Amino acid sequence: MSSAAYTRTTAEPEWVLPSRGRVGMFSLIGAESAVFTIFVVAYIFYIGKSVAGPTPADVLELPILSTICLLSSSLTIHLAVRALHQAKVGAFGLWWFVTMALGTIFLVSTGREWHHLIYDKGLTVSTNLFGTTYYSLVGLHAFHVTVGLLIIALAMVFTLFRKVKPEHGERAEVFSLYWHFVDVVWVIVFTVVYIIGR
Amino acid sequence: MSSAESRSHKSEATRSTIHLPAPTAWPIVLAFGITLLLAGLVTTTAVSLLGAILAVAGLVGWFRDVLPQEQEETIEVRVEATVVSTSRREVARLPVAPDLPRALLPLETYPVSAGIKGGLAGSVAMAVLACLYGVLKEGSIWYPINLLAATVYTQSVHLSIASLKAFHLDSFLLATGIHLLTSLLVGLLYGAMLPMIPHRPIILGGLVAPILWTGLLHSFLELLNPLLNQLISWPWFVASQFAFGIVAGLVVVRQEQVRIRQLVPFLMRAGFEAPGLMKERADKDEPR
Amino acid sequence: MSSESIALGTVIESARPIGERLHDWVVTVDHKKLGILYILYALFFLVVAGIEAIIMRIQLIVPHNHFVSPQTFNRMMTMHGTTMIFFMVMPILFGFGTYLIPLMIGARDMAFPRLNAFSFWMTAFGGLLLYFSFIGGNGLYGAGTAPDVGWWAYAPLTSRAFSVGHSTDFWTLALLVSGIGSIGAGVNFIATILCMRCPGMTLGKMPLLAWLNLVVGGMVIFCISPLTAAQIMLCIDRYLGGHFFDTQAGGSAVLWMHFFWIFGHPEVYILVVPAFAFVSEIVPVFSRKPIFGYPIMVAATIAIGFISFSVWAHHMFTVGMSAYGNSFFVFTTVAIAVPTGIKIFNWLGTMWGGKILLRVPMLFCIGFLFQFLIAGLTGIMLGTAPFNWQLSGSYFVVAHFHYVIVGGIVFALFGAFYYWYPKMSGRMCNETLGKWHFWLFLIGFHLTFDFMHIPGILGMPRRIYTYEPGRGWELWNLIVTIGAFFQAAAILVFVVNLLWSLRKGEPAGNDPWDAWTLEWSTSSPPPDYDFATTPVVRSRRPLWDLKHPEDPDWKYE
Repeated sequence: MSSAAYTRTTAEPEWVLPSRGRVGMFSLIGAESAVFTIFVVAYIFYIGKSVAGPTPADVLELPILSTICLLSSSLTIHLAVRALHQAKVGAFGLWWFVTMALGTIFLVSTGREWHHLIYDKGLTVSTNLFGTTYYSLVGLHAFHVTVGLLIIALAMVFTLFRKVKPEHGERAEVFSLYWHFVDVVWVIVFTVVYIIGR
Repeated sequence: MSSAESRSHKSEATRSTIHLPAPTAWPIVLAFGITLLLAGLVTTTAVSLLGAILAVAGLVGWFRDVLPQEQEETIEVRVEATVVSTSRREVARLPVAPDLPRALLPLETYPVSAGIKGGLAGSVAMAVLACLYGVLKEGSIWYPINLLAATVYTQSVHLSIASLKAFHLDSFLLATGIHLLTSLLVGLLYGAMLPMIPHRPIILGGLVAPILWTGLLHSFLELLNPLLNQLISWPWFVASQFAFGIVAGLVVVRQEQVRIRQLVPFLMRAGFEAPGLMKERADKDEPR
Repeated sequence: MSSESIALGTVIESARPIGERLHDWVVTVDHKKLGILYILYALFFLVVAGIEAIIMRIQLIVPHNHFVSPQTFNRMMTMHGTTMIFFMVMPILFGFGTYLIPLMIGARDMAFPRLNAFSFWMTAFGGLLLYFSFIGGNGLYGAGTAPDVGWWAYAPLTSRAFSVGHSTDFWTLALLVSGIGSIGAGVNFIATILCMRCPGMTLGKMPLLAWLNLVVGGMVIFCISPLTAAQIMLCIDRYLGGHFFDTQAGGSAVLWMHFFWIFGHPEVYILVVPAFAFVSEIVPVFSRKPIFGYPIMVAATIAIGFISFSVWAHHMFTVGMSAYGNSFFVFTTVAIAVPTGIKIFNWLGTMWGGKILLRVPMLFCIGFLFQFLIAGLTGIMLGTAPFNWQLSGSYFVVAHFHYVIVGGIVFALFGAFYYWYPKMSGRMCNETLGKWHFWLFLIGFHLTFDFMHIPGILGMPRRIYTYEPGRGWELWNLIVTIGAFFQAAAILVFVVNLLWSLRKGEPAGNDPWDAWTLEWSTSSPPPDYDFATTPVVRSRRPLWDLKHPEDPDWKYE
């Protein structure tokens, strides 16, 4: 029997498989969420177990503005991806830039908060358990935001040089999954650190 | 996506070239960079610095590989006539089902109702014997019922012998529930298993199985029901288990066996009635 | 592929300079080359970690032995465990997966070929970093070289106060690096199996190897990442003065245990499920019957995958958890035996009534079946808290998990080697040497690990450097060490066989075992593009359908 025996001879319904970009990104998000779970569990486990001050109630203030910025960047990246799917490259660039700006605001305000905590309140990673868990959890999230922003900036550069075309819509969409994930994690971190833990 | 494109080409068997991802050194550069970056923590900062440079170079190189288009190399294909054959032409067949090309065993089994009937009948036989024990030996029909209820009802552990012989509605309801549930489950198991037992199902199901589970119960009855364990009369207990096994077994065996509906499509077994359900499978026999 | 074209290929290969050929291997993104790289790399570490085991066994052969120093013994123990788990069994299983999955699902490569290369090199550099500690670990004079904290690295042993210098950091960073590689491999497995299947191969028609590796991929991403997170925490503790596992500052040593075993127990199933996959492919072919209970096998694997994430604390019964905690983990541990038992029955059901061919791959699989059963039984014993309180931390535990890893996983691995070696190299392994390998290894395995249970029951603690005479342990330790040498001899035979067969083995042809999955429809070794034309399948045994057109499987599935 020749190899021709298992090639298709007549038209059949289209053989559709899931997109590997999406599946890969969802798997990565699964792995990342496990990492965050461990850090969140450690944070919750150590709430109130510090043997010395300062405590969260003393030093933490609700980062309302940066939270609003980060969460709304989820919406703007969605609009950007939709614009790209509709072949509106200009609108894509605009929304993409807004996303980048909102993410940067978040990162800058996290930096200001840390500066305030370290230099005004004297809380460092080695001060007490609260410092250790706080900086590692929030820092891990900030690291993910930074990575996301770097990729967004890279795509922004491509957009400015007019290299982004509608066929890149799927890649942008796969990346937006990551960005949504980072936002969802922030909702959890915010709840745990600033509401439950305070 | 390139994979999708090449897949759509592959259906044309005569293509002589194939696109494969091109070899690239950037993954190893990136991996080495990250390793050095971390290795700097256990050696010196210079190593970390070198690692960082390599990692950035690796990332940039990698991006240039995949953006804006993935790098591919084109490879010539030698289409050979791959022969798939076997020296084992003969296929041995089970003699049990000559009319079927493939069979799920057993071919015939008891319907579910057989197990339910057997379980119920066995439960009656067992209850009769247990109550007989209560009346003859202890002078009260309620005595065994109260003992059984103690399995889940901790209140009855504290009852005195005298009140064990009195009627308690809660104990009665609980005992009836336990008795019926267990009997039904064991009955269903009998219905499923007896067709598998090749010889003398009654001896195995009626005598051997009760002995086995009585032995099992004997070893951990203290944990399950300490009250029953204290006051139990093992000969009567074994006898009532035999009564259950034999009656349930007999009832099950006397039911009609039915052929299992293999080769019938799932939709039909699920009760759908529509034209073409069986015909579809016949169609599939033709090569597509 | 005919024999002339093999010869032709060899001529072309050897005509090119060796540097160029090595360069090909370094820059490759081909799943077959990367798979072989994984396997060779793991075989190297098998020998290294085997030597470490032999050193430990020589040290324990008689009481009051001074073959090595206590410090060296601790290093050998740590490095043996870490290497065998992270740099031998995991890479070798990833290697087989990387090699076989695309071939079995009729694809030309993995979903992310470059990520595949990256994952391999991360794993490889992780191992090199770990072993660099022997040279570069001398942070402080006398502070030691290689890591010596045991492969669990329990706190507070890993704190700065008890582990000066950088030996523990080498361990942490090496696992961090290789962990990134493992997660990459897991992501790649999932994406490949879900997105690269050839037309007609629905999920229900995938070979079991693909199904089981899909589950492994899922377990890798959810279980290696907690380890990565815990290693980051340990780094924060050691480098930035954090207090995660610092009991002086209110931190918890038990939290490390939880984090480690949340990784540690699913890891066991990450290692054993690919072994199940090999057995599920080999046993049907050598029994000449289709696998028994395919859907149940898939369901049982998925069940194992889920339950394995809820059993971790059975490693911690002696820590002193609450009674409810203990009961829960006893329950889940016993529950995981159910799907595992189902699988054993299904393999037996596959063999039952079959025309069993006792070739070397099948011999190893039969060995696997019986030994894995015993390993599972001692596992249930150790999984019940009261029994565990008696024997936790003894040689009984060591014997149990080596029964799982060597008696189960390594036996299945050797079976896989002999089964797929013809596909990878184009030549058959020598059957006589293979049988020598099997019997020597079987004898050595049973001498070592059967008798290792006994000193455990007699109270010999694990990880001890030496022991007093007169406790009744001498004879058993002697037998155990003798068995270790049998195993070493068997490995030697195995390596000789691999090398000899590469040059002198019989040419295999496409399909030496008369098997049924897609990898046997292409030439051996497969061309760069795997399949000249993309196959289309209609059943779980596509090659059966071609070989028996009068009685194909797809009519009944």
